[in-house]
Amino acid sequence: MDAISALRRASGRALLGAVLFAVVQAASALDSSMVSPPAPYRAPYLPTSDAEVLQQVPPASDAKVREMKTLRTALDKAPADLRTADLLARAYIGFGREVGDAHYAGYAEAVIAAWMTRQPPPVEAQVLQAVILQFRHQFADARALLEKALARDPRNAQAWLTLATLDMVQGRYPAARDDCAQVTRHGSYVLGIACVGNLRSYLGEARQSVVILTQIAGDAPRLSASFKAWVEGLLAEANERLGDWPQAEAHYRKSLEYTPHDNFLLVAYADFLLDRGRPQEVLTLLADYRQSDTAFLRIVLAQAALHSADLPRYVFLMAARFEALRARGSDYYGREQVRFALHLQHDPQSALELAQRNWEVQRAPWDLRIFLEAADAARKPQAASDVLAFLSQTKLQDPIIEPLAKRLRAELVTR
Amino acid sequence: MTARLIAAAAGLLAALIATLVFAHSASDAYLTLDSMKASATMSGDTLLHGQWDIALRDLDFVLSLDANGDGDITWAELRPRQGDIADYAYRYLRIANGTGPCTIRPIRQMVDDHADGAYAVLFFDVACSGRAKKITIDYRLFFAIDPSHRGIFVFRSGAGAATALFSPEKATIELSP
Repeated sequence: MDAISALRRASGRALLGAVLFAVVQAASALDSSMVSPPAPYRAPYLPTSDAEVLQQVPPASDAKVREMKTLRTALDKAPADLRTADLLARAYIGFGREVGDAHYAGYAEAVIAAWMTRQPPPVEAQVLQAVILQFRHQFADARALLEKALARDPRNAQAWLTLATLDMVQGRYPAARDDCAQVTRHGSYVLGIACVGNLRSYLGEARQSVVILTQIAGDAPRLSASFKAWVEGLLAEANERLGDWPQAEAHYRKSLEYTPHDNFLLVAYADFLLDRGRPQEVLTLLADYRQSDTAFLRIVLAQAALHSADLPRYVFLMAARFEALRARGSDYYGREQVRFALHLQHDPQSALELAQRNWEVQRAPWDLRIFLEAADAARKPQAASDVLAFLSQTKLQDPIIEPLAKRLRAELVTR
Repeated sequence: MTARLIAAAAGLLAALIATLVFAHSASDAYLTLDSMKASATMSGDTLLHGQWDIALRDLDFVLSLDANGDGDITWAELRPRQGDIADYAYRYLRIANGTGPCTIRPIRQMVDDHADGAYAVLFFDVACSGRAKKITIDYRLFFAIDPSHRGIFVFRSGAGAATALFSPEKATIELSP
């Protein structure tokens, strides 16, 4: 008896007006020996020692935490000051990115919420809201806001840069090239060039990408640590496109020297290590980042590669996390869900369906790769024909994707 | 000129990376109401048992639980603030039935570890006068400071349970116990 029908039976009536999501006893279908209960994860308890550390939080002594506090105090005193709100929202977004914590996107959204209700909202607020939506992979909404903002302020470099990123993630490379040019024109030369450098690595020009980005990295000793980390991360990625593993690794390590907690860089480096057959190092790298869902997926993949006896428990916990995300209405882990279905649940058919859905949203090299992997595993090369056409058109070079695409193309011909 | 460009680059940077970040899960709290003992009161009033799990990191953002600012919330720092936590949280939870508002009676607090960190666990009773046909729950915790917060609501009744989601767009839920 499922829980909802049980409830109906108990109450004689369905829940009124409630948005029903999931049945709570999802775990009951699993082997009881490996059930780790969903939240709450253990029974509530009373700590026994005063010194027991219950939770880590950003320390108040951190310069960026102090800056956020100062701006927050200033905004509380002058809530109508858009400039302070803009600075605080940016500080939250930047800090959230640096420590890999999505809460700060929510805090930023709250800061600009009052302005977003105006008709029309200030352009600054619209652009920041678009950044936050993009952060949550609500790409269509983000794009609509950026277009509105740019219609009113065509010189807004932040809007162009955000649009460039969006176009790159969605594989709209000619549009991204124009966006990058607008960033150069209205914002900064360095950033515009970095934008183009990044773009080239998706167009079969990874060698040029490395040259451009190396020059920026060398020319920019005075730029912020997060900018340098970003450029180093792009260099790592471009070197991966070229199959230059030692260079790629050196750049990942360098980028993590600048921003050691950056979630994006950590999982990208973990993926690199998984591909290189070094799962043990993934466990060391991500030991302190189990809270991050994307990092946790790489931990589970590493456990699988190590044939860990604990693997079923890890897979269960990962499934519970996806379920929790679904329960809260978040659906932006498409790429991770495909890898989970394919490599951990060994369900290529579901993986292919998830990959098809993900492909409608994002088309970065990783999205392309897992699509092809899923089509290959499901023995459905014909499902990949659009993706293979995209690959031919963009000329993306990648030593892992190319052989996979070649095999699928050969199967397509023989069928 | 160079300085201005550098400042521009630094100021603009967040956007480009932010989109690529797959971060920690956003803020969730778990509210459970249990009507199993709804008929337990002699007066015939409705009594519900409640449990509310709220992340310490979210509470720290509004209440600064880390008193010495060293980045660790210890039990010694949390315990004296439990009254503040209750004062804050219960302000954002309203429960009513057809005859009027119900009374929320805090019982005690504990701690629990979830996948994404430690949570304060608030136990409470809800007393409503009369036997209610429907109960309205209004949940607004953290919405003003973080519109992406979600209240994951579990309602248990007899052998059954169902869940619903509180969000700024849907802060009120009606149910029949």
